[in-house]
Amino acid sequence: MTSDLQKINDRYSMFSALAPHIPDDAEFLFSAKDNLTSAGIETRCGSKILEGYRPAFDAAAIEKMKKSGGGLVGKTNMDEFGFGTFSVNSAYGIPKNPFDRERSCGGSSGGSACAAAVLEDHVSLGVSTGGSVCCPAAFCGVYGLTPTYGRVSRYGLIDYGNSLDKIGLLSADAGRLKKHLPTISGRDPRDPTSCVQPEPALSGKRIGSVAVPKEALDGASADVRRAFNESLERIRGMGADVETVDMPALRYAMPAYYIIATCEASTNLARYVGMRYGRQDGDLALKFDDYFTSFRTKYFGDEAKRRILLGTYTRMAGFRDRYYAKALSVRRHVIGSYREILKNYDAVATPTMPFVSPKFADIALMGPVESYAADRLTIPPNLAGTPHLSVPCGYDGDGMPIGLQLVADHWNEDVLISFASDWEGMFDSRRAEADI
Amino acid sequence: MKIGLEIHVQLPTRSKMFCSCPTTDAEAPNTHVCPTCLGMPGSRPALNRKVLEYGIMLAKMLNCKVAETTWFSRKTYFYPDMSKSVQITQYDNPVGSEGFYSVKGKKIRITRIQLEEDPGKTKRVGDLSSLVDYNRSGIPLAEIVTEPDMSTPAEAREFLGLLIADIRHTLDLPGDGERSIRCDCNISVGKERCEVKNVTGLKNVERALSFEVVRQTKVLKAGGKVERETRRFDEERGVTISVRKKEFESDYGFIDEPDLGIFRIGKMAESIKIRESPQNMALRLAAQYGLEEKTAKQIVSTSVGLAELFEDVAKAAGVGTAASWIGAAASYWKTFEDSPEGRSGIVAILRDLSEGRINDVEAGMRLRSFMTGATEESVKAASADLDVLIAGYIDANPAILDEIRRNEKASNRIIGHVMKESGGAYSSADVVSAVKRIVDGRL
Repeated sequence: MTSDLQKINDRYSMFSALAPHIPDDAEFLFSAKDNLTSAGIETRCGSKILEGYRPAFDAAAIEKMKKSGGGLVGKTNMDEFGFGTFSVNSAYGIPKNPFDRERSCGGSSGGSACAAAVLEDHVSLGVSTGGSVCCPAAFCGVYGLTPTYGRVSRYGLIDYGNSLDKIGLLSADAGRLKKHLPTISGRDPRDPTSCVQPEPALSGKRIGSVAVPKEALDGASADVRRAFNESLERIRGMGADVETVDMPALRYAMPAYYIIATCEASTNLARYVGMRYGRQDGDLALKFDDYFTSFRTKYFGDEAKRRILLGTYTRMAGFRDRYYAKALSVRRHVIGSYREILKNYDAVATPTMPFVSPKFADIALMGPVESYAADRLTIPPNLAGTPHLSVPCGYDGDGMPIGLQLVADHWNEDVLISFASDWEGMFDSRRAEADI
Repeated sequence: MKIGLEIHVQLPTRSKMFCSCPTTDAEAPNTHVCPTCLGMPGSRPALNRKVLEYGIMLAKMLNCKVAETTWFSRKTYFYPDMSKSVQITQYDNPVGSEGFYSVKGKKIRITRIQLEEDPGKTKRVGDLSSLVDYNRSGIPLAEIVTEPDMSTPAEAREFLGLLIADIRHTLDLPGDGERSIRCDCNISVGKERCEVKNVTGLKNVERALSFEVVRQTKVLKAGGKVERETRRFDEERGVTISVRKKEFESDYGFIDEPDLGIFRIGKMAESIKIRESPQNMALRLAAQYGLEEKTAKQIVSTSVGLAELFEDVAKAAGVGTAASWIGAAASYWKTFEDSPEGRSGIVAILRDLSEGRINDVEAGMRLRSFMTGATEESVKAASADLDVLIAGYIDANPAILDEIRRNEKASNRIIGHVMKESGGAYSSADVVSAVKRIVDGRL
């Protein structure tokens, strides 16, 4: 089993670490993004700085999956600390798209999406801060669910942006989302933000109406437009009303997101100064701040450094009100905007990503702003903490998958799960050829 | 001269602020630690609610507005003993704000009270290395910030002494000296202020401030400018030393702490009642019973229990009786501190007195016998002798009564005489109260 996985991993680089041992009596197999702590298994978040970190405890989500009979097969590759859209910012190899290995799996849960697409009967735990579950789900042609913020305990999640981070599920089978969402949900006193949730209930409630923001197709490629419009027809065919709405808040979500996310990230990453865990080298005879600086300079990747700088700048005295405080008020506005629309509709539909997965060669030419902009449709629900789902909804001329994203109201994963099941029954999704 | 203080008080919770590690003294370094207080990746904080309760108690004690909603913030700075390089503290909406605390009738304004976690401790070992102990990491603190309303180092010391006594009483803190209370002292003689960080102990606060007064005055007299900076106090040498200049001050980049959420504490605050602080009790006794403030403070500082006895006696036997007899009761008070039966016994004797069932002399003897456990006969014999000595002196020097009418202190001459004559057979408290009783009777 492990040697098979090793072979698959040699081809796709979806795992940054394979479990040394998979229990024989496991009822199902799962993998987990490498920012979820796994007792005794190296957990590195795609970062050199955490090389050698073997956590003393399992993350709540992993613990619960194991308790319900799951066998953890490995930790999946990711952008360093979740910073990226293409999983190319990892110190441990870049996961390759199962449909075309010249292309990205998306990010930052790229390894999880890849594992979900390639492995049979598999489910993977991903983590979304600004779209890191739905983006790779769309690029790899699998189902991806990001539950409401607070639905799944973040105990054991290595933080990117604590007010945004959500643990979600990726699988090629919609049924596995339905099966495992209740497994990982629930209140956990170790994460106070999980303790306000209502009991998760999957009653099979169906979507009766869908709102499509006018802004949904801004900048979308022709293939994505076509697949999205066909999907709306399918949704109508399922008996739901589809109407166009104004949602100008979508435009402001991205700058607000990057301010809040980088502010929080820069404080979360402050703890990585060597000395205690992860890499232990460096010259401890230096003055402590010189030691910290040299250590961080050496072991953080470029994107991590960029986000630390951005976040530190925007929370500096004198700038805090202009950036951080303002971003918080924009977030409230975006939440209000979803709430308003979801009073009258069961879900908001957009494409998940504005284009299909790009080639690595093209990604190398993208500037940071261009690559940040790719997340413009996944960021709004993440900023609002509303649950959202990506389902495969079409393929471009090269056979690359396209994703449809549905956003529901807080705590209303129910309609998304029902939709995924119904969709699976009527949409003929393709599996990538994993010729091992 | 302006002086403001930031006082850090360790709160007496049983477990740490954000994890279940114990707060008691540990046997060895880094034994009272867990992933949370070590800041291990993946760990996260969950608030110990008791911390909010203590915060509210302090806010009430300091006449602060208690916030309706409060939350925590992240203060980012890099130091080896701060395990997350982020301290969870309060920035916007701290638990209490805009309070005051009275010292000798002067109001010292309290800017805010914020709740935060203590960092670990760094210990230097030899010249080149340091060790870090995280046992203290995550111990809850309240930081009390005053306005710069104190005008001398002595006043700051007095303020701090009274404040600490009141905090101990309100929070029921163990009386292990002043070490668990640390202080940052801000002082400006001219325009610019300096901050002396992390001073422990009342005496050191006064010393550090006094040193700064002299230093800053010298700088100004020589035509120089005091630079805004952070200094530390060297206890052994009694001097302050510059640590960093203003331009090197950290920008802490506060943001909200997202892991803990928002706490609506209005209801909780309503339900929390605090014990009256000794300071406030003294002020109240003075106002309510027409005592001199000094007398009221003396009673309260002897013990809060004695002050409660005073109130019981005043209720049962009148303020006059309470005022004349509290001194006598104070002499033998120690063993009565924790004895409610003892207290009601004393009240009964003095009630008998005030209702005319016994006279002063009998009341004195019964009280002494009751409180010391000696038989009434032996007390009577001793006290009769004492009364004879006093009366003898007054009979021999009748002019003393006129002198006492002009100046109370003249009665000290009688006391001195009796103490000398009796060769120390009677306690000074007995002599004082007997003299007072006999003199009062003759005036």
